[in-house]
This record gives sequence, structure tokens and C-alpha cells, in this order.
Amino acid sequence: MRIKSLAIAVIALAGLAAPASAGAVTLIGSGSVAAQPVLQALFKTYEKQVKKNVHFVYVANGGNAGVKDVQSGASQFAGQARTPLPSDAGTTYIKAFMDGLCLDVNKKNPLGNISIQQAHDIYRGLITNWSQVAPGGLTTTIDPVGRDTNGGTYNFFLQAVLNNEAPASNVNALTADGLVVNAVKQDESAIGYAGLAWQGSKKLKPLKVNGIPCEAKKISVEPLKYPLSRYLFIVLPGDGSTSPPALTKFIDWMRLSPLAGETISKAGGVPAFNKKK
Amino acid sequence: MNEEYPPEYGPKWSDQRVERMLGVLVCTVVGLLLAMIVTVLVHAWPSFAHNGLSWFGAGGDVDDQLNAISLSGQSGAEYIYTFHAWPLIWSTILITGGAVTIALFSALFVSVFIVEFAPEWMSNILQPVVRFLASVPSVIYGLIGVVVLVPFIGNNLVSEPQKASVAGVISLTGYSLLAAITVLTVMIAPLMVSIFSDGLRSVKPGWVEGSLALGVNRWRTTWKIVVRTARPAIVAGTVLAVARAIGEAVMLAMISGSVGFSPNPADGIIFIYEPSRPLAPTIVKNIDQLSSPPSNATLFAIASVLLVSAAFLSLTGWVARRSMRKYGAA
Repeated sequence: MRIKSLAIAVIALAGLAAPASAGAVTLIGSGSVAAQPVLQALFKTYEKQVKKNVHFVYVANGGNAGVKDVQSGASQFAGQARTPLPSDAGTTYIKAFMDGLCLDVNKKNPLGNISIQQAHDIYRGLITNWSQVAPGGLTTTIDPVGRDTNGGTYNFFLQAVLNNEAPASNVNALTADGLVVNAVKQDESAIGYAGLAWQGSKKLKPLKVNGIPCEAKKISVEPLKYPLSRYLFIVLPGDGSTSPPALTKFIDWMRLSPLAGETISKAGGVPAFNKKK
Repeated sequence: MNEEYPPEYGPKWSDQRVERMLGVLVCTVVGLLLAMIVTVLVHAWPSFAHNGLSWFGAGGDVDDQLNAISLSGQSGAEYIYTFHAWPLIWSTILITGGAVTIALFSALFVSVFIVEFAPEWMSNILQPVVRFLASVPSVIYGLIGVVVLVPFIGNNLVSEPQKASVAGVISLTGYSLLAAITVLTVMIAPLMVSIFSDGLRSVKPGWVEGSLALGVNRWRTTWKIVVRTARPAIVAGTVLAVARAIGEAVMLAMISGSVGFSPNPADGIIFIYEPSRPLAPTIVKNIDQLSSPPSNATLFAIASVLLVSAAFLSLTGWVARRSMRKYGAA
């Protein structure tokens, strides 16, 4: 944890040292890897088109680590992909935008639909062959792929699919969402989970979950129709009132402006509250 | 006075002063090293104190234990420390041992070839290539492993009946002993080659010429005179390579597999396809749990085992080199 804080501090220093216009503000964040692609796109749009004197530094060190950085003061905000836990005391969660966790198989796998119960059984090691999932498809052994405990995606999957039971020993826990996607692309018998931002590859097939496809338009605000849809949060220290005004303004912009909504959808997320143009 | 020194380097930079400054520098470095070792051991102590020697033994599922340790730190209940690291230690022994054994023999032959048999133009090319390979960051080897080697093993070498035979326990997807040993060998062999060939080259030419003049052929001379004389360098290179292999974390975290499973040679051929997780990658994969006090102690305990084995290795290397010094070179 200390190493991470140090790394953040060094990057922050580098950010401050960069030539910046007068009155420039640097906002330091860390956390969710799942939220990273969308957040980076939002930062870029904001820096270029809205407030040229605000700069962002975001270290994707995992949602749980990000919240701890906020608690310790190492970060001014954190990205987070799961709902608050008791261990997050002293922080405020703000709903930023939405994301769906897709269950992905290789394109060569004929399977189209999976139930939460089947996914649960696969990741608990109770179902080990594709023929047990759906007749007429693959008959090979399932290679379940997941994240290690450092990821917010892991926690979301644990809560939403596994009922907080630990994954079985035949689940290959990889260190990054990108590695999970890569493993599924390269293995016909694999199944993995990753956020919407990671979809769109030709070798990857997002499954329907309980009959509902994993698409941005199905993951509407309320009620959450797609079973594995979720909010992505921005976490602030205290009740959020101590945060710098530049950060509060950015969060309002991200939640409400049409431009931000457009940016979020382009980056693979789903805008939750943004006004339509 | 002081005519030997130009005035600007005169009394101000006297030998004594430089000596003292270097002395302080050396003491600082040694002090920092000691402080680091003490810090690691102090943090690690609770884990060893609770488990005793069974820390190194087998028993239960090591991943479940790590999970329970981490949870007990967050829930505020009494801390759990029970941890039996054998699967991780066994994995470290298998992967390091396998890679070092293969690398030792291949590096020895390659360096003998470069120094004694290759034409000059060839060794002029090979030498810098080997030096470059020895300095490639390990994460690059890890990437190549993930993108090329792991899918190749998973899709082409492992058969469906083999996968089905262990279904539900482990997945044979290419993240395996085979992948880990192969990539680790490629990683440490260049390091060994570059140290071995320095050693072989520093053998006194007179000894070689003497042997050749007595009518001993080239191959025998190389084996009996050159390699034998260069043994201290071979030991030094091997020790360095073992140290690098034991401590390798990022590359192995990417390709060795993620399960705290003990590969069993009795399983037959699938033994080499079985996933496992050595000690150093375990720290990388659980770094997020450092904030839970019992996990912190457990991870530092793993770190201290790595630290002590590194210290023990350099000690062994030093003793071995001392006893071989009578053969001459290096």
C-alpha cells in the first residue's frame, strides 16, 4: 500500500511539474480498472473541451486499493465498481455512470445464453463440461477464467454471481481484465467476465444472461433489467464537501452533461443520468 | 609541500578524506540493508510465531487459508494466521530447479562454443546479442509467454481427455509448469552465458597452449583445462541465475497459473501441464490485502523466506568459489 501511495505521489509530482497554464489544477485519483477506459475518455474530453486548466492523474490500481487511497488521503477521488462495504467508512459513493459485466465465451463456442445459476455452478466447479450447460454445443471441458482478488470486477462477480462463495480452484485468476479477455480469445473452451468497455472484439462473444443480451441499451437506469449491470462510482473522502471545487464541477459535468454522456457511450460505458442532446 | 598533487586537488581532497567519505557511504548501504532485513523479519514474525515449522509444511488449501487470513483482518474478529506454504514452496522448487538445470547445461555448451569454437565474426555477433538478452525486462518475456506460449500449450499440447481427467480440480489451459520453466530458462540462460564466457576467456592462454602442445585434442583441452579452471565463474553465474529465478515475480505471475496447487509427478505426463503458483508471484497477486494485518504478516513471511534463501545462496556461492580458487583463474 505504501508503495502504491508513493507511486501515486511521484506521478502526481510529475503532473505538477509539467508545464501548465496559470491557475492549473491537478486532480489525483486512483482505483477501479473496470472504470478506467471510460474515466480516461472523460478526462480527455474535459481537459480538451471544457476546462483546459484542469488536469487529471488516474492510477488504475484496483477499486479496493483506490478507496483505501481516498481514506488515507493519497488520492482525491477513487473509481469504484462495487457498492459500499462496511470497510469503506469515511467515504461517500457517488453514482457516476453504468456498466454491464458481460460473460464472454470464444466466438467458436455455439452457446448463446447462460443463466446466473449456470455461471455460478461453472465458477464453483460444479459444472465442468460444456455439454452440461447446453446440449448440442461443445463437449469439451470448461476453462473458467476470472480476476484475482485485486479487482473491483472480482468483487462484483463474487456478489452478483457467486453469492460471496469463493471461486473453485479450477478458475484461472488473472491479474488484469485485459488478460481475461485475451485468455478467452485464445481458448475455445474458455469463459470469462469483463466490462462492456472490453467487448467488441471479433473473437469474443458476450452471452445473453437469463435471456437478456449484454448490450448498452439493455442496461437502462432503473429497474436494472440486465442481471449483471451495475453502477460505477466516484468515491470522495468524508461527505464530499471537503473536495476541491474543480473536482465537484467535473463530477457534476460527468453525471449530467450531454457531451459527457456521449463520451461515456463511446468508451463502452452506459450513461445513467446524462441529459439527451 | 605536496608537490605531487595539482593545487586544486591538494590537501582539500586528501586520501584520508576520500577514504572516510567512502567508508560512510559503505556503512550507509550496509545499514540500509540491515534495516530492510530487520523490517521484513519484524513484519513477518506473527505469521511464523503462530505456525512454527508447519509454516513450511503441507496441509489444507493454501488459497483458502490466504482468503481466511485476509477476511479475519477486515472483519475485526480475532486474527487468523494458519498458513501452510508447501504448495508455493514446491512450485518454486520445481520451476526454479527445472529452469536452472536446463539453463546450466545449455549455457555451458553455448559459452564453450562462443569462446573456444566459434569463428571470430560469429562470436562478435553472439556476444552482444547474449548481453542484450540478459538485460531484457522480465515483463516482456511474460507478455510473449501469455500471447504465444500459453495458448500454444493449451490448444495444441493438452488433449481433451487430459483436461477432463482433472476437471473441477484444476484447469489445464496452458498456464503451466512447462510454460513457466521454458520462459524462465530463456530468461536466465543468457545471464549464465555472459558470466560463463567471461570466466572461460580469462583462463591463462599458456595453460591451453601447454595442453595443446602435449598433443591433447581441442575438445579434451577445453573440457579438462578451460572449463575446469573456470569453475568459480560457473558457480558464480549459476548462483546469480538461481537468485534471479527464485525472485522472479511478474513474469511467473503472468504464466505459471494462479492456483496454490502442488503439481504431482505421479500424475504422469500432465504433470508438466499443471498450474501452480510460486512464492514471489503470491506476493504480487495478494498485494491488495497488505492492509489487513494478518495478511500483511503472511506476505512479509513469504518475503522473508525469499530474502533468507537469497542470502543463503550467495553464501553457498562464496564458499564454493573459495574452495575452487586453487585451480587458478577468477
